[in-house]
Amino acid sequence: MLRIEHLTKTFGDKVAVDDLSLHIAPGEIYGFIGHNGAGKTTTLRSVVGIQSFDSGEITIAGIPLRSDPLACKRQIAYIPDNPDLYEFMSGIKYLNFIADVFGVPADLRAARIADYAARFELTDDLAQPISAYSHGMKQKLAIISAWLHDPKLILMDEPFVGLDPKASFLLKGMMRELCDRGGAIFFSTHVLEVAEKLCDKVAIIKQGRLIRSGTMEEVKGDESLEEVFLELEAD
Amino acid sequence: MVKTLLKKQFAEIFRNYFYDSKKNKARSRAGTVGYIVFFILVMVVLLGGTFAVTASSLCAPLYEAGAGWLYFAIMGLIAILLGIFGSVFSTYTGLYLAKDNDLLLSLPIPVGTIMLARLMGVYLMGLMYAAVVIVPAIIVYLITVPFSLSALIGCLVFLLLLSVFVLTLSCLLGWVVAKLSTKLKNKSIVTVLVALLGIGVYYFAYFKAMNLIQDLIANIAVYGPAIREKAYGLYLFGSAAEGNLLGMAASTAFVALCFFMMWRLLGRSFLNLATATGGSEKIRYTARREKQRSVSSALLAKEFGKLTSNANYMLNCALGTLLIPILGAALLLKGSTVVDVLSSVFGSVDTTAVLLCTALCMACSMNDSAAPSVSLEGKNIWIPQSLPVEAWQVLRAKLRVQLLLTMPVLLFASLCAVFVLKASLAVSLALLVLPQLYTLFFALLSLTLDLGHANLGWTNELAPIKQSMPVTVAILGGWGYSILLAGVYLLLTPPFGAAVYLALFALVTAAASLVLYLRLRRRGGKDFMEL
Repeated sequence: MLRIEHLTKTFGDKVAVDDLSLHIAPGEIYGFIGHNGAGKTTTLRSVVGIQSFDSGEITIAGIPLRSDPLACKRQIAYIPDNPDLYEFMSGIKYLNFIADVFGVPADLRAARIADYAARFELTDDLAQPISAYSHGMKQKLAIISAWLHDPKLILMDEPFVGLDPKASFLLKGMMRELCDRGGAIFFSTHVLEVAEKLCDKVAIIKQGRLIRSGTMEEVKGDESLEEVFLELEAD
Repeated sequence: MVKTLLKKQFAEIFRNYFYDSKKNKARSRAGTVGYIVFFILVMVVLLGGTFAVTASSLCAPLYEAGAGWLYFAIMGLIAILLGIFGSVFSTYTGLYLAKDNDLLLSLPIPVGTIMLARLMGVYLMGLMYAAVVIVPAIIVYLITVPFSLSALIGCLVFLLLLSVFVLTLSCLLGWVVAKLSTKLKNKSIVTVLVALLGIGVYYFAYFKAMNLIQDLIANIAVYGPAIREKAYGLYLFGSAAEGNLLGMAASTAFVALCFFMMWRLLGRSFLNLATATGGSEKIRYTARREKQRSVSSALLAKEFGKLTSNANYMLNCALGTLLIPILGAALLLKGSTVVDVLSSVFGSVDTTAVLLCTALCMACSMNDSAAPSVSLEGKNIWIPQSLPVEAWQVLRAKLRVQLLLTMPVLLFASLCAVFVLKASLAVSLALLVLPQLYTLFFALLSLTLDLGHANLGWTNELAPIKQSMPVTVAILGGWGYSILLAGVYLLLTPPFGAAVYLALFALVTAAASLVLYLRLRRRGGKDFMEL
């Protein structure tokens, strides 16, 4: 679903991502962990096509990002670390805007909005302006908008921040549902317990370099993910 | 602490002068100086020049009649009007809607200190507007009358008092707007309507005042003493600028008292208003079937949504949509008189046609919604960048808003001009086509400028809407175009007549538009994605 080959991105003298390669297959929930400033967000933004990169190749569902970014973007959805949405719109207007851009037919979008908004208990608030939403409500809206066009790959940067326990639980279920339908999820997190329970595979990045990746068992062995992560960080 | 906050405040206001967001690095010293000199030139030469003309027509007759105080009182009142008009909505936004209010209020900083720092931003804005009137007035006065140190000191005290008084009144009105905003549902529209009412009152008062001033100058010997007797406060206010000690003391005491009362009022309500989330009732969502729109329609609707939700954006960048039809209607009502006068002054209908065309182009410069449109994406820039749309589609939607806001109303005004002018078919066609082409050029220029100098890191939306380089340069570019259009014709009086002249200008405008369009198509998308 997603192939990242030798991705390198520098900001001036600083190498943010250094020769990173990752392959994510359909059906996989792939966790991406690393300390602050390790290069997680830069990698995610590069895959989404909103950050240019110096070298390497990214392909999404077999489509090279460099040569056909629009076709790639049609396959994916992205939730950034901070849900900065159009505050001048109401929740429903934002969802309709996203649905229009992705060409989701009217009936289908209505059904999906009704379903996801009900799950996140956001239905009553959809007519409210986003400026009146709490951080958690914005995050829920961002999640609904990401799922609205049924993408093949969803990229999320710290998706559980700001969500209440029930919404976190729901999100985990939705992530698994999507992967069961053949989709894939690539997300960064600092909540290692969540990553350990939820992810099929995990990658650990340090100072822009991939230092370990594979199935959860391969990466952590008999230890906990937290112990492995702290050991690797200490090296 | 105040120093730190002021540094932050000014860093935001003047960021574009010192920092090149495109190159992500500080500007060179020459670049910074160039920017500042350019800004000063704009304010002093263009705006200040207008008021210098008014000041010179008033100063000598009033001073010679022993009513120098009245000269300063009149210029002071104009400065106060302009200062308040220019800064009242900025005051509301700057004080209560700054995006970092929550952050600053959560820090161990006294509320009064935050208020003081915010007020300095408002003060600068009011000072800028007031100075545009009063500095030329002072210069004209000092040139006209024999020099005295007391008058120089008086003028400086007058400038200071005036700016503080403008700040006080702006803050009071900003407070009223903030109070109303917590109760209103469609605040943007209401704000725009109130502002339009304000503009109407301003122009009504301005035209009335012009007549009154002429009457006043003619009968100064009678009116001067009468005004002094019946409005002694006004006399003291004006005489302060002439170095009258009693006037300075009384005016200082009055302004200080007003400022103190305003400070107390703001101090009591600032926290509540700055953290208010709106008192309007919650709207409960009821599901209904939405029609599927094309990507272009969705992007256009998004841009219009952004515009209509923001009173400052509408007032500063789309006012022409309301005023251009008024100009057209005014042409229908009074145009024949104007045309007769112009034609008799310049001796030909051709010159009148060029001047009308110039007026139409200048009016079009009131609509520059594309100039801050990229910057206004702010932290939401990730949305259009990550969606499966061409960057050009996003940019085109921004262009379309400006074109749709301007072209139809401008066509109406052009038709009114054609109707009134009763010129040849060729001139009439030129009057219809050139303003439309100019609208296209102006929109392309506005967007190109913002794309090249986008400021996405603002915490106060006024930074991109009112205080940004793209907006300033776009408006000045528009004025420059209009001045060029009329100036070249008046200077050269080409033998081939207005129709050919306007057609040539139209060709040049079309060519310039094509260059900008091709540049946007080829490089705009890349520039947008790299923001």
